[in-house]
Amino acid sequence: MEKRTLLVADSIDKRFGITHAVDNVSLTIDAGEIRGLIGENGSGKSTFSQMLCGIYSIGGGTFRLDGKELHVRNQVEANNEGIAIIVQEMGTLSGLTVAENIFLGHEEPFMHFGVKDARAMNKEGQRLLDEYGFGHIKAADMIDHYNFEDRKLVEIVKATYMKPKILVIDETTTALSQNGRLELYKIMDAIRADGRTVIFISHDLGEVLSHTDTVTVLRDGEYIDTVRSADMTEDDLKRLMVGREIGSAYYRTDYGEPISDEVVLTVENVSVPHEISNVSFQLHRGEILGFGGLSECGMHEVGKAIFAASWDRTGTVKLADGTEIDSITTAIRHSIAYASKDRDNESVILNESIRNNIVLPSIDDLASHGLLSGRKLTAFADKHATDMQTKMQSVNQFVSDLSGGNKQKVVLARWIGKGSNILVLDSPTRGIDVRVKQAIYALMADLRKQGKSIIMISEEIPELLGMADRILIMKDGVINGEFRRDPALSEEDLIAKMV
Amino acid sequence: MSKTLEKLKSSRSYGLILLLVMLLFFYGVFKILTPGNFGSLSNLYSYLQSSIIYSVGGCGLYFIVVMGLFDFAVGANIVLSSIVGVILSKHFGYLGFVLGCLGCGTLIGFVIGMLYNNLNVPSMIVTVGLMLIFESLAVFVAGGVKQTLDPELRFFSGAPGNIILAGLAFLLMYFILNYTKIGTYCNAIGSNEFTAKNMGINVRKYKLIGFMLLHFFVGIMAILTVSYGTTMTALTGMSTMSRNFQPLMGTFFGVAFRKYKMPITAIIVGEFIISIIFNGFVALGAPTTIQNVVTGGALLVIVSLTARGAKGSVVK
Repeated sequence: MEKRTLLVADSIDKRFGITHAVDNVSLTIDAGEIRGLIGENGSGKSTFSQMLCGIYSIGGGTFRLDGKELHVRNQVEANNEGIAIIVQEMGTLSGLTVAENIFLGHEEPFMHFGVKDARAMNKEGQRLLDEYGFGHIKAADMIDHYNFEDRKLVEIVKATYMKPKILVIDETTTALSQNGRLELYKIMDAIRADGRTVIFISHDLGEVLSHTDTVTVLRDGEYIDTVRSADMTEDDLKRLMVGREIGSAYYRTDYGEPISDEVVLTVENVSVPHEISNVSFQLHRGEILGFGGLSECGMHEVGKAIFAASWDRTGTVKLADGTEIDSITTAIRHSIAYASKDRDNESVILNESIRNNIVLPSIDDLASHGLLSGRKLTAFADKHATDMQTKMQSVNQFVSDLSGGNKQKVVLARWIGKGSNILVLDSPTRGIDVRVKQAIYALMADLRKQGKSIIMISEEIPELLGMADRILIMKDGVINGEFRRDPALSEEDLIAKMV
Repeated sequence: MSKTLEKLKSSRSYGLILLLVMLLFFYGVFKILTPGNFGSLSNLYSYLQSSIIYSVGGCGLYFIVVMGLFDFAVGANIVLSSIVGVILSKHFGYLGFVLGCLGCGTLIGFVIGMLYNNLNVPSMIVTVGLMLIFESLAVFVAGGVKQTLDPELRFFSGAPGNIILAGLAFLLMYFILNYTKIGTYCNAIGSNEFTAKNMGINVRKYKLIGFMLLHFFVGIMAILTVSYGTTMTALTGMSTMSRNFQPLMGTFFGVAFRKYKMPITAIIVGEFIISIIFNGFVALGAPTTIQNVVTGGALLVIVSLTARGAKGSVVK
């Protein structure tokens, strides 16, 4: 079949202050193609696609769709031109019904002389949900009654029911279970079969290679290359993204090192209603203890429970000196750190500076006679942010301006600055590109060597196998299996205990 | 089983039952405490008539409260619009009275909305500033004298006039919320303004519309208030501040019961409950200060029982 160019991006450019987010990117995408768009955090891929979708204004250059120059100012105008996006964050609005969310900004077919026909809107919404196989979601219900994944499914319907010429999927799969992912892949394939186009953004390179025809790589805002997925391996893509070989030192390479006998933390019969039940284990000095399982297995709650951030927790969490961790304040005071999976909502304060994010738990330590010195705080934050190689203009920059990987570096800088000895890291590399991942793995290995203990909760099995000294697998809120670090240990071994 | 229970707990019927239980509870308590002075049918009818005035204002406030905005100039506008309506009624009869109240009310809403949009400062600050200005303006318009509504123009002072007018206001509210884009867009803006903007919603426009609608309803409230009281005196020094809170209590009920898709019913029943509590204390002979303490306390209890966030959730 003859290839037809659908989208032409010509010298697309965007700056945020002194940051050159997208630097004269030019590319073309054909109709009937699934195009992967990859790059490290801060490479410009989300900014590029959000300019296409009207979320950001275009700094320079032009987009042409089917030969027509685009001048979209918001998502609805982009929808009208045939472009839709499913965003990384929550894209549905509370306080509205499912149907109102689906048709938000597109109510006209249901309006008659300014009067809305809610019944017709609900009926059409339900028809679409049923057609997509999401019949368990009811169009007339308030969206607030549904969980994050179901709300993502509603977004998928919202973005695709109008049959857009281009659908941008921006890091959506991390929010979906395996079933949700499969549904999304089916929709992507259907769009391609229909002669339309998908731009697929993901950090999961295996997923990108499996479900795309071609992949465009951006680095530091610049266009690097577009390659055929079938010709590439994950390592090839990593090399293109980072600009050098990265494979060899990705995970720890040591095996057979004994775990210290010194227990630093004892968790006994910890339960949280509806989440985990009678979880008991010990953490040793200088150990990386991995927690794995399916998304809803309760492992994320274990991290919160250790940090005393769970509601109605029972059981005990004790340090080696007998101190019981029964509040977050006690946890922090006794050298426990926690980085949540929900980074934006629970780990960083987005509308605050990097400096204030880093110094927050250390303020008392930095105060002299109860008084704070701005210079001292800045120097402290600057040292730890720089040690973490955080990509920033200065520590006064707001965290909201940073990419996911750099936000995580700020979180780690905070706890390293605090001198925490036990780090509970929930999904430490979630949504983070390979280079920052590598840096975080190296840091974890280094902390381990310093005798610090780490609890790493992860949904990525290779990460568990590659980094942990010991792995506990959870299923239905209880520990269902334990594995020691071993080169012979396989993904299948862990999966067998997860499902 | 738990899913069915969850579904039941989010249904409209459940919300209605909750409201009725609260209503019966407070009615029952005061009826037992003062069986002679409280709660006869005629008493209840009287409570209802006073509460529907506040319900109308509560409906108007709903438009901006769901958007996360606030308005302290409601009381000042009730006074100003009443005075303008009464003055115009002296020349143009009912037409002058009704159009004076509604026109002045809506115009004030337009001024507040425009200033809020253009000054780019929090609505609370804008409306506190404007409250002081509107109070002074009311004194100026009234010429420093008490304005009395002509006895021939008091159709809305009692039933059926007040019930008809309030009923029309509730129907209008119902229509706007369910059959126009305004209700959907106000909720969307309140949920996430940035996303709403990205959905092509003209946020500034709908905030302006929200303020205008609020003060249109305040205009209706002014008609009912001055008809009920027959006179209106303009006072300065934030004296109108207390008029803001009674309608706002109904709005809190409306916002709390939004999840049951019945905000208007909740506003009306909520104001009625507040009225029952207030009149219950009057029947008990409690001093006003105690009445206010208990009314405020009851509101906190009711709203926290119905609208409290999930454990651990952030409430601002």
